[in-house]
Amino acid sequence: MAAIASRRLAKELKEIHTQGCPVGIQLLSADNFEEWHLSLEVMGESQYQGEVFALKFRFESQYPISAPAVQFIVNERYTSPVHPHVYSNGHICASILGNEWSPVLSVIGVCVTLQSMLASCKKKERPPDNDRYVRHAPDNPKQTRFHYHDDTV
Amino acid sequence: MQIPSNNPSDALGSTSGDLPSTQNEEQVPTYTGPGFITEIPELAGLTPAQLYELNQGLMDEAMPQRPLIDQIVPMAVLRAEYENGSASFVKQIDYLVSQSYTGIRRTRGDGDCFYRSLAFRYVERLLNSQEPTMSVVTAISTLESRLPMLEAAGFQPLVYDDFYETLSSIIRRVVQPDDSGTTLTLPLLLEAFQSPEVSNSVVVFLRLLTSAQIRTDPDEFAPFLFHPEIGEPMTPREFCETFVEAVGKEADHVQMTALARALKIDFSVAYLDGRSPDGHVDFVKFNEGVDDGLDPLVLLYRPGHYDVLEKRTDEVPLVG
Repeated sequence: MAAIASRRLAKELKEIHTQGCPVGIQLLSADNFEEWHLSLEVMGESQYQGEVFALKFRFESQYPISAPAVQFIVNERYTSPVHPHVYSNGHICASILGNEWSPVLSVIGVCVTLQSMLASCKKKERPPDNDRYVRHAPDNPKQTRFHYHDDTV
Repeated sequence: MQIPSNNPSDALGSTSGDLPSTQNEEQVPTYTGPGFITEIPELAGLTPAQLYELNQGLMDEAMPQRPLIDQIVPMAVLRAEYENGSASFVKQIDYLVSQSYTGIRRTRGDGDCFYRSLAFRYVERLLNSQEPTMSVVTAISTLESRLPMLEAAGFQPLVYDDFYETLSSIIRRVVQPDDSGTTLTLPLLLEAFQSPEVSNSVVVFLRLLTSAQIRTDPDEFAPFLFHPEIGEPMTPREFCETFVEAVGKEADHVQMTALARALKIDFSVAYLDGRSPDGHVDFVKFNEGVDDGLDPLVLLYRPGHYDVLEKRTDEVPLVG
């Protein structure tokens, strides 16, 4: 892996360890500079009260110039939140993870944005094209060119 | 703030039909996602995976792998691309040549071309300086003095440190040997700017500087912040997040004004828009009134794309 991603991720990791994560976000694993897992919980009143989700970040050598691949983990322990921008396979349709990604964002920054995306959800439902998308989706959500449903996230 | 009569955003799109097809690098077809594609009957039978492949094929065709930034070529090369297309562009190219702009250094049409072109010339001018040490010290102290502005704009050192380090170490290398014992030369500079890691890091740093300049001086910039497609006014924060900080988002007038100010440099942009009846080309000046003794920094704009304009036809540096 090129120096830039590991240099930046090392700094982010150090900051997480020294300053801790924002409320509702926890580091589950960060053993390398390729893939990190974090848990995500919406605090206060919301559609997702009591639910804990997990996010998987995958980094390319050009991170943070290129966006990380971010998705909700779906396994025997975690599920994908029911949300109009989140597919049941955990893929997320959010412009900040695509064409509006900027190196100003960090792993924690992405978590906070997704946390507020969930917090502001009015009605739990899947994207209208969920079944069709999930059937054909690539493994890596970055290979999908999402048509962003709206620009509120 | 200067508002030139020739606004590049007007030119964008409205005249792009005049470009030869190989020049349409900015106009990449977009795949609108699996849920929305069935409106086009010919594509309805394809799976999303097939559509993705189809789209990737189109993108690869539309974006030939031009180096991120290339060697200088004579203007005749550019002229040849327009000879069978637009007479008005050819006329304007001839006008530029008559003004001694005989060469062009082209960049990849990836939306970062303004920042990359400008950054390359910014460092190259230091290499050409009569008093390189003085020029390097001035550039470094200007950049350093901008770091508090980045923080004031809300960027953590974690976000900009590495990018700043990349740019400042290239600049220092103009006069100070690096670990390998060599100082910067034009071929080494070109090599650095052709490597995605270095080149893109510098681009990102210039984007952050541009954004910070706009965010920390809202009185100056807010009246000019509009969504480039829908024309709605935007707040500095929205504008910067979407159209300055995001990688691959092309720069327009506001960004250029802000960056000239942040870097304390003068530069001008020649607008090759194919709309001048007599072939005249407007040079829009981004003028901070700097007296740095460096050779002029001139970019060439064609609808949707920026390159570096040169008064030489190949890499041999200008004497004196």
